[in-house]
Amino acid sequence: MANATFCAWTGFSKGDLAGRRFQELLTLPGRIYFETHFAPLLRMQGTFNEVALDLVRASGERMPVLVNAVERQNENGEVQFIRISVFNATDRRRYETELLKAKQEAERANQALQELNATLEARIASELEQRMKAEAALRQSQKMEAIGQLTGGVAHDFNNLLTVIIGGLDAMDRVLRGLPATPETARLSRLREMAFHGARRAATLTSRLLAFARRQALDPKAIDVNQLIKGIADLLQRTIGESIAFEVVTGAGLWHAVADPAELENAIVNLSVNARDAMPNGGRLTIETGNAHLDEAYVESLDEPVDPGQYVMIAVTDTGHGIDKETLSKVFEPFFTTKEIGKGTGLGLSQVYGFLRQSHGHIRIYSEVGHGTTVKLYLPRANPALAAFQPGEREAGGYYRGSERILVVEDDDALRAFSTSVLRELGYTVLEAANGRTALDLLQERADVDLIFTDVVLPEGMNGRQLVDRARQIHPRLKALFTTGYTRNAIVHNGTLDPGVDLLGKPFTVAALSKKVRQILDL
Amino acid sequence: MSILARNNVVVSGSGSRPMIFAHGFGCDQNMWRLVAPAFEQEFRTVLFDHVGAGRSDLSAYDRTKYSHLGGYADDVIEICTDLALERPIFVGHSVSSMIGVLAANKCPELFEALILVGPSPRYIDDEGYRGGFSSQQIEELLEFLESNHMGWSTAMAPAIMGNSDRPELAEELTNSFCRTDPEIARHFARTTFTSDNRADLGKVGTPSLILQCSDDVIAPVCVGEFVHAKMPDSRLVVMQATGHCPNLSAPEETIEAIRSFVH
Repeated sequence: MANATFCAWTGFSKGDLAGRRFQELLTLPGRIYFETHFAPLLRMQGTFNEVALDLVRASGERMPVLVNAVERQNENGEVQFIRISVFNATDRRRYETELLKAKQEAERANQALQELNATLEARIASELEQRMKAEAALRQSQKMEAIGQLTGGVAHDFNNLLTVIIGGLDAMDRVLRGLPATPETARLSRLREMAFHGARRAATLTSRLLAFARRQALDPKAIDVNQLIKGIADLLQRTIGESIAFEVVTGAGLWHAVADPAELENAIVNLSVNARDAMPNGGRLTIETGNAHLDEAYVESLDEPVDPGQYVMIAVTDTGHGIDKETLSKVFEPFFTTKEIGKGTGLGLSQVYGFLRQSHGHIRIYSEVGHGTTVKLYLPRANPALAAFQPGEREAGGYYRGSERILVVEDDDALRAFSTSVLRELGYTVLEAANGRTALDLLQERADVDLIFTDVVLPEGMNGRQLVDRARQIHPRLKALFTTGYTRNAIVHNGTLDPGVDLLGKPFTVAALSKKVRQILDL
Repeated sequence: MSILARNNVVVSGSGSRPMIFAHGFGCDQNMWRLVAPAFEQEFRTVLFDHVGAGRSDLSAYDRTKYSHLGGYADDVIEICTDLALERPIFVGHSVSSMIGVLAANKCPELFEALILVGPSPRYIDDEGYRGGFSSQQIEELLEFLESNHMGWSTAMAPAIMGNSDRPELAEELTNSFCRTDPEIARHFARTTFTSDNRADLGKVGTPSLILQCSDDVIAPVCVGEFVHAKMPDSRLVVMQATGHCPNLSAPEETIEAIRSFVH
């Protein structure tokens, strides 16, 4: 027997429902559980409350319900009827589902949080490590930078002085040659030689410092490294001596590299000397060349910025005592040396380092104590279209002379006096100016100046480059030769000369000056 | 823990012949409350709860052991051995019919007779066999408990009695009927409704009585007939009682049927 509401919910009429048992209106699972659990419960307990079941409507649709049932017995204990109350549980079932879902979500979130917590410590630790590594790398490069600034400044000043000294000694040499030979002149000559060598060594020292400070004026060209190494093979063999075996392994199809050839030679000689010193009891020195590709992954792992790309690699390997880890970390610092006092200035490797950096290259040392060391130099590959530089003949003796008019612009009085006197000795007519303003005034007055020889660094706001530009406005065909001991300036960008600019580095010898001046005037 | 405590074994009766009652799927030994007392004079009645049901020791529930009916059969054998029962009569309802069959096959001389109330050797239809359910329906059944989680817990939780019509039940029901852990109930349902013991029927040598209800959706008449056909020494009685639990819904008819058989 069913009431109207129940009929409305289920879609059955009273007639349909008459005589049928309640459980027939349930879904199959509901019916089974009803038969096995709820009906027994009703029989034993006389009632059950709030059992969640699903009715099946006439349409076949499911309707979630909550069911209460009560058994009514007569005085004999016989069941008279069972009163069943059905509550529409659609909403409640929905809430239950949502609640369960929310509970699951919360559990998942909690789980995730726990895992996060567990890994958090580890992540913080690794972040810290990375941060510290980055800071260490920064400190290192800042240190090198600071040292560079210091040494560069000192070296520049030294260069000016050395130019004067060497110039003076040069002049002495010329005078002495002109005198009749006597024991006194011979003695004077010897003294002059010694002083000259001392000054030369000092000049080398300052140029090394400048190299480290990356303030050399480099003259990079496309070079065939194999050829360059062949060219100095004899020199290397002599340098390392007989007790060390020497081998050159040249890579086939080697690309051309971009570098200043003279400085590259210097670097290789430097490394060979180090190698020799690491093998006091003999060993083997190997120089290898090959093409190399430095990829993103590799350059990312470095402390200093290196562009990924194609490079020419030169490896200098020895079988010496090797370098320990601690030393390895300081090995490029200037004045750091493992040699005894007097046996090395500690500038060699720092010079090589500076040269590589300034050449947009990369240097890497691999070493194992007791086994040996390999120093790998990477130079950028030259644009294949560039023709390779042919090393010219070594400088011939003698000076080049001339009679043209040269304007010398130099703010350092001593140096200006020196350059002027040297050029006059070579036969040129020389005009002087201590700054750009004076130089321009001079040029306004006269139209016959052939060449302007100026320091790049000038006082009072106009540097050498600006001066030449302005000068050429007055005299378009004016030739220019720059000199500098210090490359932080307008004509040298990142150590590379602007094309079409001629540069004579300080300190310069008379021979170098005479040659360069002649070259330019002859163009 | 002792076997008797594990299965909440209750021994009553003053007779000498032992009769052991096994409840089936759903509830616990309380299912026999209207039938077992009728035999207490003549018999020594033994009632117990399967592990996971009623007041059995839930911590003894081993998923692997009870993932097949043989696990339950082993427990029955253990109870009989522990109590040193001599050739008891085994009365099994629903799935416990098959549990009895398995126990009898394992220990052929164990029981004097088997009384199977609403038995089914396999619930899922098979080729040439009608169990009454498709496998999809059984899956639905097994999901039912899951989706009705809250409704189930409420219903199956201890019911506080307050029924003035049946005051005699008030005290007994402070501990639950049908108390069961939903997890275990789920697993027991799976074990029961995916069982297949058709091959075990033919081996039973013990004389057996099959009590089949009319209109039992869980163990339909054709299944009862199948069981009777397969068991060599069996008798089939189709009762007037409907539904799956005649021991509760028609206790007199049930008692009568059993009594006729055991005399």
